[in-house]
Amino acid sequence: MNLDIFVMNGYGVYVWSAFAFSFLVCFILFVKTKRTLKKLENEFKKEAMSLSDEKVSALKNKKVAQEILNTQQKAH
Amino acid sequence: MMFKFLYPSHLFSFLNKGISIISAIIIPFLFLSLIFALLISPQDYIQGDTVRIMYVHVPAAWMTLMCFGMISFLCILTFLFKTKNTILLYKSIAPIGLSLSLIAIITGSLWGEPTWGTYWVWDARLTSMLVLMFFYLIFIFSYKFISNQNLSLKVCTGISVIGLINLFIIKYSVNIWPTLHQTESIKIIGRTTVDSSMLLPLSMMLLVFFLYCALIFLMKYKSEVIRIKKKGLKKI
Repeated sequence: MNLDIFVMNGYGVYVWSAFAFSFLVCFILFVKTKRTLKKLENEFKKEAMSLSDEKVSALKNKKVAQEILNTQQKAH
Repeated sequence: MMFKFLYPSHLFSFLNKGISIISAIIIPFLFLSLIFALLISPQDYIQGDTVRIMYVHVPAAWMTLMCFGMISFLCILTFLFKTKNTILLYKSIAPIGLSLSLIAIITGSLWGEPTWGTYWVWDARLTSMLVLMFFYLIFIFSYKFISNQNLSLKVCTGISVIGLINLFIIKYSVNIWPTLHQTESIKIIGRTTVDSSMLLPLSMMLLVFFLYCALIFLMKYKSEVIRIKKKGLKKI
C-alpha cells in the first residue's frame, strides 16, 4: 500500500492535522447551528399550534410565520 | 425604508432555497477541491508538502477578514441609520468569523513548525491575527451579555471600528514589520507569485469556504428571525 499520501515526506502529521482541525471546527459549528435552528423551528411550531383559532388565522396572514410552518411540514 | 430589502420578510423566502442549493453542491465540491489540494497539486520546491496547509490556512484567513469587514460595515450602518434588521445580519456573521480566525491561527501554527522551526512567534502578522480573534470574542460577548440594546449597539460599533483598524494592520503588517511571515504572494493588483497549479486548488478551496460561510450564515440568520417571530407570537 502506498503510504506517501499519509506520510508526505515526513510532513503528513502537520498537513493532516491542519486539515482535520479545520474540518472539525467547521463540523462543530455546522452541527451546533443546525441543532439550534431545528430547536427554534420546533418551539415556534409548538407555540403557534397552542394559539386559539382566531390567532392562528391571524398568523396565516404573516408571510414569515407561514414560511417557518411550511419548512416544518416539509421536514416532517 | 431605505434598507427595505434587508427586512426579514423580504429575505426569508430566499433562505430555504439558498440553504438547499448550497447543501446540495458543497459536499461534491469539497471532495473535488480536496483531491486537487491533497493529491493533484504539486509540492513546493522549498517547503515540500507543507505547502498544502495553504489550502485551508489562506481561505480561512481571507474569509475571517472579510467577515470582520462586513461586521464593521453593518455595525456602522446600524449605528447611523438605526436599521434593526442589520443587527440580525452581524449577529449571524460573527460566530463564523470567530471559527475561521481560530482555524487560520492553528493551521498557521502547524505550518510554522516545519517551515520556521516554531509553532508561534510574536510576529506582527500572527499577533494581529490573534488580536482579531479577541476582537471577535469581545464583539460576541458584547451583544450576548449587554441587555440594553442601545448600549450593546454602541459597544459593538466601537469594537468593530477599532477592529477595522486592526484589519489594515493585518494587511500591511508583513510589509511594515517583516519578520517570519512571508509577504503577500497573491495580489489583486500586481504580479501573483503563486503558480497556476497551486492557484487552482487554492481558488477551489476558497470557494468551498465561501459556500460554507454562506450556508452557516443563512442558517444562523434564519434562527435569529425565528427567535424574534417566536417572541412576536405572544403579542398576537
